[in-house]
Amino acid sequence: MSTLLIANQLQRSFHGRTVVEPLDLTLSQGDILGLLGPNGAGKSTVMRMLCGDLAPSSGTVHIGGDDLLHQPLPCKRRIGFLPERPPLHLDQTVDEYLVDCAYLRGLGRADCKRSLLLSKRQCGLESAGSRLIKKLSKGYQQRVGLAQAIIHDPQVVILDEPTDGLDPAQIRQVRELIQMLAESRGVILSSHILSEIQATCNRVMILQDGRTVYSGSLSTAKTPCYRMGLEKELDKNVLAALPSVASVERLHTNYFRVTLQDGFSPSLLSRMIIEQGWELIELTPETLTLEQRYLEATTGGGS
Amino acid sequence: MIRRLAWVEWKRVMRTPLAWITLAISLCLLSWQFLGTLEAFVGMQPGDRTLGLTHHLGLQLFGLAAVVMFFITPLLTMRLFSETFRNGTYTLLSSAPIPVGKIVLGKATGILLLQCLFILIPASLCLTLAGSTTLDLGVIAAATLGLLLLSAFYTAIGLYFSILGESTAVAAAGAYGLMLLLSLLDQHTESDSFLHWLAWPSHYLNFQVGLVDSSDIAYFLLMTLFFLILSHYRLEQRRSG
Repeated sequence: MSTLLIANQLQRSFHGRTVVEPLDLTLSQGDILGLLGPNGAGKSTVMRMLCGDLAPSSGTVHIGGDDLLHQPLPCKRRIGFLPERPPLHLDQTVDEYLVDCAYLRGLGRADCKRSLLLSKRQCGLESAGSRLIKKLSKGYQQRVGLAQAIIHDPQVVILDEPTDGLDPAQIRQVRELIQMLAESRGVILSSHILSEIQATCNRVMILQDGRTVYSGSLSTAKTPCYRMGLEKELDKNVLAALPSVASVERLHTNYFRVTLQDGFSPSLLSRMIIEQGWELIELTPETLTLEQRYLEATTGGGS
Repeated sequence: MIRRLAWVEWKRVMRTPLAWITLAISLCLLSWQFLGTLEAFVGMQPGDRTLGLTHHLGLQLFGLAAVVMFFITPLLTMRLFSETFRNGTYTLLSSAPIPVGKIVLGKATGILLLQCLFILIPASLCLTLAGSTTLDLGVIAAATLGLLLLSAFYTAIGLYFSILGESTAVAAAGAYGLMLLLSLLDQHTESDSFLHWLAWPSHYLNFQVGLVDSSDIAYFLLMTLFFLILSHYRLEQRRSG
């Protein structure tokens, strides 16, 4: 997969107050990167810097190999951006608006027509072409916003809260559209809704007060923690004395959370317990869900 | 790209009732002034006619046209940027592959295209007399050129004020204030002072009487350029914060 976007030490201050601390980010074809964080965490500022709407105080953004600061025009041709509030001209029809958008992104007359049909089909707007945007429902207006972001077939699509205000059926349609877009592009989307990110993205970056507190895969990574159940009643200090165990926490009755020391496997632990005759009834690896990871990152602070 | 932006802006303005209403009012006012000037000229004794009909039209019809432009330009320009900042549509331009300078020029050209319709009204009214009397076409052309340059100057001022904030009313009020100041500067200043030179009425008056002076053309072009550069600088500053 080719790398489409690289942000290096991207930082932004407003009047001496740092709103985004130095941040590194890469996006490849096929990636759907979710920017997650509470309101005011700096998600929209990061997105505005990535699409060239806002200049970073320091750091660089490379899109398709070009520097956004020094060669903004080729970079911006490769970006489609849907801000939090869709930039719609409400007194235009959908077709007029999308043609103007295509026109401003440098498409020729023939390409405009083809791109209009394609983007309308992708966003489910075939029947709405001649309707005034102000007469459309919020869901349809959001689709028009999405259509303008992809009308020039950009390599990188940046979507700020794309499912905001949509009903469940529309949310599912937008998710499917994003996944389809990511087949040949890279997509960055922001949300403060965990389930939204979990359902759509394959990578996540969690921001808190402008700081990146977690960046990585969204797959539920295994931790060295195990939930263990014993038939026999046991003091947790006895368990903690085992050579492979780093720490033990009693969950309830005979159930414990056991953290293994580096280099020790759960099979070794189970063998030790059986040898001691403590009658093992459960040994399950604990995984961090996105919610746990988010709460750990935003309240604990560590990545 | 300037042409594309101008075309998009022109379509957007022409979709609003404001453009059509101002156009209709301008047509009524200028036609009224045209008929009044004509009637007054016809009623004059031949001995009292120190100036020809074209000069009368140049002074009175094109004089009122400048006043009309004074009132309508801030109404047309106040939405250019301030409204797009307020409703978020400026992102369409700022994230598009268009340099800031072209955004400024494109928007200004779009409004100027609309103003050409206003500018054509007094010229067309004068030309309706072409079959019945001998007109000094040079005076009409000079006055039309003067009106065009004045419109460009007004547009640049209005555009600059629309970049300063999100309120369209403040943008219009700011533009009216500065334009009024620049029209009054020659009233209480020495005729050879810089402040006197900054006032536009004396420069425009030369065009009204058929005098095309390169220094007057330079005045309007320089002032227009100055406000366009200020607008460009302000937009760049907005991006950099």
